[in-house]
Amino acid sequence: MSLNFELKKRLQGFSIDVGLRIDEELMVLFGPSGAGKTMILKMISGIVSPDEGVVEVASARLFDSKSGIDLPIRSRRIGYVFQDYALFPHKTVFGNISYGIDYLEDSEIKRRVGELLEIMRLTGLENRYPHELSGGQKQRTALARTLAASPRVLLLDEPFSALDYQVREKLRSDLLNIHKLYPITTILVTHDLEEAFMLGKRIAVINNGKIEQTGSREDVFYRPRTRNVARFMGVKNIFSGTVAGFDSAHTIIQSRDLGTIKAHTPGGAALGVGKEVSFCIRPEEVIVIRPDKVLDNRVQDNLFEGEIIETTGKGSTHTMYLKIGSGGALLKIELPNFVLRKLALATGKRIRISLKKEDVWIIP
Amino acid sequence: MDFFPLYLTIKVSFAATVFTVAIGLVIAWTMAKKEFFGKDILDVVVMQSLVIPPTVLGYYLLALLGKSSPLGRFLEDALGFQIVFTWKGAVVAAFVSSLPLFVKPARAAFEGVGAELENAARLLGKSEIYIIRTVTLPLAWRGILAGTVMSFARATGEFGATLMIAGNIPGLTQTMPVAIYDAVQRADDYTANILVGLITLFSFTVLYLAGRFTRGRF
Repeated sequence: MSLNFELKKRLQGFSIDVGLRIDEELMVLFGPSGAGKTMILKMISGIVSPDEGVVEVASARLFDSKSGIDLPIRSRRIGYVFQDYALFPHKTVFGNISYGIDYLEDSEIKRRVGELLEIMRLTGLENRYPHELSGGQKQRTALARTLAASPRVLLLDEPFSALDYQVREKLRSDLLNIHKLYPITTILVTHDLEEAFMLGKRIAVINNGKIEQTGSREDVFYRPRTRNVARFMGVKNIFSGTVAGFDSAHTIIQSRDLGTIKAHTPGGAALGVGKEVSFCIRPEEVIVIRPDKVLDNRVQDNLFEGEIIETTGKGSTHTMYLKIGSGGALLKIELPNFVLRKLALATGKRIRISLKKEDVWIIP
Repeated sequence: MDFFPLYLTIKVSFAATVFTVAIGLVIAWTMAKKEFFGKDILDVVVMQSLVIPPTVLGYYLLALLGKSSPLGRFLEDALGFQIVFTWKGAVVAAFVSSLPLFVKPARAAFEGVGAELENAARLLGKSEIYIIRTVTLPLAWRGILAGTVMSFARATGEFGATLMIAGNIPGLTQTMPVAIYDAVQRADDYTANILVGLITLFSFTVLYLAGRFTRGRF
């Protein structure tokens, strides 16, 4: 069932003004802490009333400020998994999962709970109390409790934020499988970039109570529409410049930091000469050129030389900062460890790099 | 030795505790879960009997329920219900003075059941009454029980207001605390010692039990 909402609410310090339409898919609301993501879920579910707006599930109105419709929470049939799970501490796993369907016949309750216990890998734990469960088990119990009540829409508020890295990894792939099994319209709120990319086919980037960009994960990740989105998506290398001209499929930008830059412009973005723009490139897309390499066509453009001023290991990858040109612009580069070893890169070394035209993205 | 004061004290305290719990639960739940105009004032009124001198409290009750007040006249003439100088007066005095000792821990217990748990139940389609029965009360019962025990104990010890509104009529309105006062006045050390011993033992037991109830699993 599709979920459609438009919400406005004034809060201390900022206001929320968002609108989205979500079909039977998993949509990620991504944004920094304090952007208003949780508040959006609370307004959809009815826990908090918006000042103005509409909430519709399958074109049935749950809330409409104009006509005064405001369905109580219990009648909305919206599933909500809280960040800290909100399991009933005085009920067992079975008691928690069956709570929403306890009006059914005993045999039906047993069947449904049994099915969910199995899917959630909780079989054998049904008589445990929440305080006897691990974090991951609590999280799965909370999800099972919500799914048992057959919600029309599922809202997940940072469901994995309180868990260890390994548990989180496992539960994320669990969630994708469960979503295939129960294809419910789902919104997942997170401030974790990796999680957003892994789970959201579509991502809405929220900042300061507004949606900055909605799109497929590739769109949001590689083609950010605003500097903020680029920043939140971990692009890091964001520079300013002026459009200096065009050649065939490329835009030529004159940048104070980097000099002349060529960028591939898909679909001929309507940029006039002289327009101030930002452009960016992801740290992992920067190409480091071997010193002995003969330059071919592929790497002829956007060539720079600079000095490595910092290298930091991050487990499987290394992050380097390269000082380029006279302006002292810093370029962040992320490389797999083996590349670093092979090219013997270290702080203080001068290297050449290339920014592929296709990977330089212009933010209008 | 006359055991009527012991019997009357138990009877009055039980009756008062029934009212305290019934009315106190509504007050405590409303104060914990709802925002309304005059909440602070209600709090002050309910808590008043903790600080106001019992004689002042008794004076107010006398003025409110005595024969000279419209309410008192109505109760007596229309319903044949006399409160002043009967054991019912002792119940009223015990109720008013023990109410805050119930409301405070009960309210704290209700507040301790987070809104998130109740919202989780609402999201699963449950009505407010059902949520109170299956989530709020089962999680708050220790605090409620502790409050019940405390207010019962306070009711057994009520002296000042009871003396004002129910008087000291042996065999009719003389509760244990009043009987102790009476015995000391008559220099009847034997009776005074027994009654004092009983009350002391009772108070220790109550505080011990109340302490046990407030330690919980959840």
